[in-house]
Amino acid sequence: MAEGLTGRRILVVEDESLVAMLLETILEDMGAIPVGAIATVDEALEVVADDPLLDAALLDVNVAGKEVFPVAEALKAKGIPFVFSTGYGEGGLPDHWRGQATIQKPFTEDAVKAALFKALGVAQV
Amino acid sequence: MRALEQAIDLAAAFEASTNPYMLLTPDLRYAGMNAAYLTAVGMQRDQLIGRPIFDIFTGGEDAEGEENLRQLKASFEKVLTTGDRDHLALIRFAMPVTDANGVTTHEERFWSASHTPLHDAAGNIVLILQHTSDITELERLRRSRDDAPLVSALDMILGGGVMTRAHAVQEDNRRLETERNRLVEMFMQAPGFVAILSGPQHVFQLHNDAYARIVGRGDIAGKTIREALPDLEGQGYFELLDSVYATGEPYEGKGASVTFRPEGSDRDISRNVDFLYQPIRDGAGKVVGIFVQGHDVTETVHAAQRQKLMIDELNHRVKNTLATIQSIAMQTARSHEDPKTFAESFQARLMSLSHTHDLLTRSHWEGADLRAVLEHETAAHGPTRIVLNGPPLALGPAAALSLGMIFHELATNAAKYGALSDPDGRVFVDWTVANQASRTLKVIWREVGGPPVEAPTRRGFGSRLIERNVRHDLAGEAKLSYASDGFIAEFSIPLDRDSQHNG
Repeated sequence: MAEGLTGRRILVVEDESLVAMLLETILEDMGAIPVGAIATVDEALEVVADDPLLDAALLDVNVAGKEVFPVAEALKAKGIPFVFSTGYGEGGLPDHWRGQATIQKPFTEDAVKAALFKALGVAQV
Repeated sequence: MRALEQAIDLAAAFEASTNPYMLLTPDLRYAGMNAAYLTAVGMQRDQLIGRPIFDIFTGGEDAEGEENLRQLKASFEKVLTTGDRDHLALIRFAMPVTDANGVTTHEERFWSASHTPLHDAAGNIVLILQHTSDITELERLRRSRDDAPLVSALDMILGGGVMTRAHAVQEDNRRLETERNRLVEMFMQAPGFVAILSGPQHVFQLHNDAYARIVGRGDIAGKTIREALPDLEGQGYFELLDSVYATGEPYEGKGASVTFRPEGSDRDISRNVDFLYQPIRDGAGKVVGIFVQGHDVTETVHAAQRQKLMIDELNHRVKNTLATIQSIAMQTARSHEDPKTFAESFQARLMSLSHTHDLLTRSHWEGADLRAVLEHETAAHGPTRIVLNGPPLALGPAAALSLGMIFHELATNAAKYGALSDPDGRVFVDWTVANQASRTLKVIWREVGGPPVEAPTRRGFGSRLIERNVRHDLAGEAKLSYASDGFIAEFSIPLDRDSQHNG
């Protein structure tokens, strides 16, 4: 089922530890390797710059009061696919990022998986 | 002798004057008149002398005639009561005219008259002298003008026909003046802003204090709006006024945003206003100005924006909380195969979170005191078994929620495996705030008198939650020591981080 994600290194940017733990558990269940979780935008930018082996990322839109978009730009520049996670609903994303794969809190495992597949361009079996 | 000669001369001059004059007794009967008067009214002297003036002048049949008669009577009465001269600037009075066939008709004439009391030596009024000017031609000329450029927007707005009526109702003039002043006064003191703009260039004819306050300028009277308020350029208001003036269609704005640069200031001030541009028309229906009125609704608009932000934020927090609870449920489920113990454990964690929410709600989500958070999480184990010792310390919402969950896990663990599982066991919680420049909270949770401690073989959700929460959410450090004589947890947490926001 989740072969497309096995062994993939997925960066998790999420400032709330319980939510981060949930995402990590979901990723591990899918055979992926969570990287992080990272609780601030600055740290996330460092990881994106320094880690050459990232396959994808899950980005909380609002990280400790800061918008995550600089991290999204850095990932985009490196061609690394990513998924936004947000509690703000559909209207929470600025126009610039509309259409980007997004999961709404609270999320199901299936929603996380589907969004990652979409971002990675992997066909879901 | 000289006085007599003078009297004769005066009487001769009176008779010879081309201006109509007549004298009335105090009971308003004709006492005398000159030749010009007789010509003007088309009567003989003997038809008039001794007769009441209002037998002769009936004013015609229409309502305006009656009104004019009333005005004339009122003027005489006023002279008789006050002993002062009274003027009638304009009065329409139809005069009886008998044609060659002996048919009498009324011809409309316009008059201007002054009534002067003549007193005897004792100061009693003995006669009233009427000096009349026939201004029919002048008045007809004035009325025939199609456009009336002298009619101002202000005159038109002050009760529509007020000024028009004032021409006909001379006695009311002073009352109308008062009324007009009162209206102006009402404009000036109105809580909303009011301005009257005259002409196609929108010249400020009148504006009240509220208007001057909102535009931040006082020197606007007599200027066009473009001269007076150059800071409005480019905001669309000039164009709106031009359009209202050109089309005669009123315009209503709701919550409109407008930016002013008050005189002498280098800062823009943005306000929101509800306003109305109402065209002012003259008697012929032509737009002569614009009545501007409205009020500042900035606070209301801001309140609505704040409310929307708060609802968005609330929704965001609820979604985050739901995700947190989802995580708690999932992690709890993984360490409890038995649905019964899962339910107990999950509920306890839910109640802990809920308690901290209650604490925060009491402070309108500004924060909570550390001791209060601790008391909430440890109360279930009895007040004497957990000893709290430390200074009052206000925690932000995020820190309060994290520490609430952390202390819940510690207390639960102590009750299951640690000091609180033994009737003689105790927990000491001590905290201090070190380094006042960059404040750091140090907390030590020390268990004594419990069963011998063994380090767990695998890390459960509780200890992972504690460590992750301190490091991740609070950017602090956590040290859990499984010393054989009692479990010790030590935390070091920076207090003055820029943001404690939960995203």
